[in-house]
Amino acid sequence: MNAVRGKILIADDDPTVRIVLTKLFEKSGFEVIAAQNGKEAVERLTSDILAVILDLDMPEMNGIGCLRYIQQHMEDISPIMLTANEDISNAVEAMRNGAFDYITKPFNPLKLRALVDKAIATDAQARRLHQVEAELAHAREHEIEMAARIQQTLLMGAPPRDFKGLEIASATIPSHKVDGDFYDFIAVDSKRLDVIVGDVMGKGIASALMGAATKSYFMHVIHELGCAACHINPYPEADAIVSGVHAAMIHQMEALETFVTLCYARFDMASSQMRFVDCGHMRTIHYRCQTGNCTLLEGVNMPLGFPETVPFTLHTESFGLGDLFFFYSDGLTEAMTTEGQLFGEDRLTALIPQYAAIPPDQIIHRIWKDIVAFSGSETFRDDFTCVVVKITPSLLMPSGSSEKHGEFSMKFSSDLSELSRIRHFVRDACIAVFPQLLNEDRISMIELAVTEVVTNIIRHAYGGVSDKPIEISIGFENNALMIEFLDQGKSFDPDRAPPPQFDGSREGGFGLYIISHIADDVVYEKRQNNTNRTRLKIYPGHGPDSAPDV
Amino acid sequence: MEMFSETDGDVVVVVVLADELDADNAKRFKSKMADIIGNNRKFVLDMGQVRFVDSSGCGALLSALRQISAAGGDLKLANVQKSVQSMFELVRLHRIVEMFDTREAAVKSFG
Repeated sequence: MNAVRGKILIADDDPTVRIVLTKLFEKSGFEVIAAQNGKEAVERLTSDILAVILDLDMPEMNGIGCLRYIQQHMEDISPIMLTANEDISNAVEAMRNGAFDYITKPFNPLKLRALVDKAIATDAQARRLHQVEAELAHAREHEIEMAARIQQTLLMGAPPRDFKGLEIASATIPSHKVDGDFYDFIAVDSKRLDVIVGDVMGKGIASALMGAATKSYFMHVIHELGCAACHINPYPEADAIVSGVHAAMIHQMEALETFVTLCYARFDMASSQMRFVDCGHMRTIHYRCQTGNCTLLEGVNMPLGFPETVPFTLHTESFGLGDLFFFYSDGLTEAMTTEGQLFGEDRLTALIPQYAAIPPDQIIHRIWKDIVAFSGSETFRDDFTCVVVKITPSLLMPSGSSEKHGEFSMKFSSDLSELSRIRHFVRDACIAVFPQLLNEDRISMIELAVTEVVTNIIRHAYGGVSDKPIEISIGFENNALMIEFLDQGKSFDPDRAPPPQFDGSREGGFGLYIISHIADDVVYEKRQNNTNRTRLKIYPGHGPDSAPDV
Repeated sequence: MEMFSETDGDVVVVVVLADELDADNAKRFKSKMADIIGNNRKFVLDMGQVRFVDSSGCGALLSALRQISAAGGDLKLANVQKSVQSMFELVRLHRIVEMFDTREAAVKSFG
């Protein structure tokens, strides 16, 4: 007997056929397992069987039933069916159910052997194909994992936590394919912060690596320009940096047939300006706190990698306190419903004013949730990448005050001679909390409102008694200036105060009127331990209401 | 509360020598003004140095104005700083008291 070529399973209820087949295939070098019916064939089926020959008409389980079982459990085996002349329709049915071929009895042994060899070869090929596919899928998964890891570690810079005047959050959620989204933050000095956001065309490891390369070129160019220019200008402008990166990378990008869209933005706290170079990136959304409107910032430059890009144009955008800048990748706007409807820039832009007052990381979370709700899926086709930069109070300390939880707080005594000192404190704190936004006129009005509140506390809550405590705190909350007064005197009921007379017939009564017209909101409340709290909420953008006509 | 007064013809010009006119010094302002008013009728108050006035300060000005008006006279303001002007507009004082850019113009307006 030849060396065993492998196992072959035959099933036929006719013992003569079993003997003939066994002899035939043993002679060809196979180990033959012979079953008397379909049920036994199924029981004796093992994974190392190379070929199966089934009689169609058998007791217990017929050929079709056995075939179906094999198809379900061993997809890479295609049995050959034996059939008597008269039941050819069953043979056709078997072919539909995944049989390799059929042969009619009485059969030609040579033909059957050739058929079995062919079935084994075909099945082996199918097995190899499946294996390659599985390996490929595994490799792809591995690549995605690698690309995602590159993205998370090399492409995404960590936003600074303690940059005075800016609150920053960023997030990236990789898609199944991984784009080359990247961002980075560079603190030029204590007053200037650079934010780079970009997107490499293409997907997978290649674009992730390209993104990493672009980022490192930025560092390289900034270093070189900075050194070369240190006598004249200590730090290069954004357009010079982008030009340098473009010059350094253009040949590689052309060779790799790729390009990079990006926005290089510099936040300059001293001038309250954001100067940026945009190279075909998604339009940055600038929310203005003062007006409640959004502007879409778009540059005129082509993406990096386009030969005709130079020179790069620098744009300047002024900002104020409470403003917000939203940088993002196309993964947000191109998220779509199952019907193919895009989320789009308009929807995104409409969301920003709604979320402008909440902390930046929560803004990103809310927007992500909104896009998930819109698209009906938690996974997007493209990476979800965004950076939120919010202009917040830069808390400098006025002398003599204490700062706690981002507030300025100071204690005074209930003496009218303190008024002047109180106004100085308020002025200093306002300038510190709102460095750019409050003009002289507005600050004078705030001084006036504070003077009126304190005068009321001294005269009415304390009945003119001096040396009682008045604590004043100034802070920033939801884009508004909050001024809080605490006293231990009699509580105050604003409803019992008489209205002012504008005809000059009475001297008093203007205090409350002034307070309510300068502040956007005034709350008087009695708290536990006999403390009264007066809170003024003032939006820096508003002017005082004018007096009503009489 | 430093104040200085001089006469220009039959007009008494009062110069307020304080940066602020608030609850702390309004009473002193009122009593000083009462002394100056006496039997005079025409007044110009030079506010050039005052950069802050609160409602008590306004009340003191209104009190002086009432006293002068009751005697058949008039009070005019000169050199009112912008921040103070805003405050006057808030309480509509600018509709009751005439204001002039210079002391001379205010004096002249009495004719």
